[in-house]
Amino acid sequence: MAIEVLIFYLLAGVAIAAAAGVVLARNPVHSAVSLVLSFVNVAAIYVMLRAEFLAVAQIIVYTGAIIVLVLFVLMLVQQQDLPEFHGGRPLRRAVGFLLGLALLAEVAAAILTRSLRGAPGSWTPEAVAAVGGNIQAIGRELYSVYMLPIQATALLLLAATIGALFLARPELIEERLAIARRLFTISLAHPRGVDPLQPVAELPAPQDGQLKLAGGDRALVMARSAEEFTEQPAWGEIRR
Amino acid sequence: MSELTTAHFLFLSAALFIIGMVGVLTRRNVLIIFMCVELMLNAVNVSFIGFAWEQNALTGQIFALFVIAVAAAEAVIGLGIVMALSRRLDTVDIDEVRQLRE
Repeated sequence: MAIEVLIFYLLAGVAIAAAAGVVLARNPVHSAVSLVLSFVNVAAIYVMLRAEFLAVAQIIVYTGAIIVLVLFVLMLVQQQDLPEFHGGRPLRRAVGFLLGLALLAEVAAAILTRSLRGAPGSWTPEAVAAVGGNIQAIGRELYSVYMLPIQATALLLLAATIGALFLARPELIEERLAIARRLFTISLAHPRGVDPLQPVAELPAPQDGQLKLAGGDRALVMARSAEEFTEQPAWGEIRR
Repeated sequence: MSELTTAHFLFLSAALFIIGMVGVLTRRNVLIIFMCVELMLNAVNVSFIGFAWEQNALTGQIFALFVIAVAAAEAVIGLGIVMALSRRLDTVDIDEVRQLRE
């Protein structure tokens, strides 16, 4: 067995094991680190496939930029009680694994019976070496044949930047107040506290329930029964 | 299979893609689902570059380059949506997100 086949099996094995680690890890940070390991091994496989520029781009873009972004967002939105994500849903896991195995069998059959092959292209290893290497060859192809797609990609990146700025803009004060009221209202009568799924407009005016501030801008609902309480607005303006 | 063929790379690509797909189907944390989508995009790149290697063509490599660029744009937008979601609903659990409107 040739040495390069052994190297391929080593790299592919580590890449697949790390990919399984992404799915199986309990902590999302461990998932991200596994993903880095998988991407680096796949980049090494790109080098075996004579795609040196893509191997470098893979490490710079995926493991350099995207994973750092994912880790930042992970730290920003991280919740304290992680184990609740793992409770229940055995049916969903079974369906996921069965669908995965079925697709694997299907794709394996397709690969093993593959017979359609196109005409070989003109970029043989000698032709690539003649223009100076992989990066030069990709550059020649990219900026002549694929001129329009690469400009469309530039537009796409610009649109993505603007969209990210819009999505991550600071919230308005009113929105923040409404969320705070929704989250920090305490009911003394209703066992579930506020019910944020009740729309505001359809709520009738409160009858006997009183509403007052409990200090610290938290609304305190004084109601004699749960039915009375559900007539209070769950969010939006507090009616007095 | 004593020497490298395209089938090796296609099987690696299929395995990575399917692991990513199982992750998307079974996990609940929206960030892990996001990472699994990146895994699937990467698996498709392995196929593209394997075919380019087989055919002595550069088209597959250039397509993989575009896939990487689109994945970067997708990462920016996806993580922006995750940030907005966690700020508004205070969760990253995909099962808690039921409606598009507020």
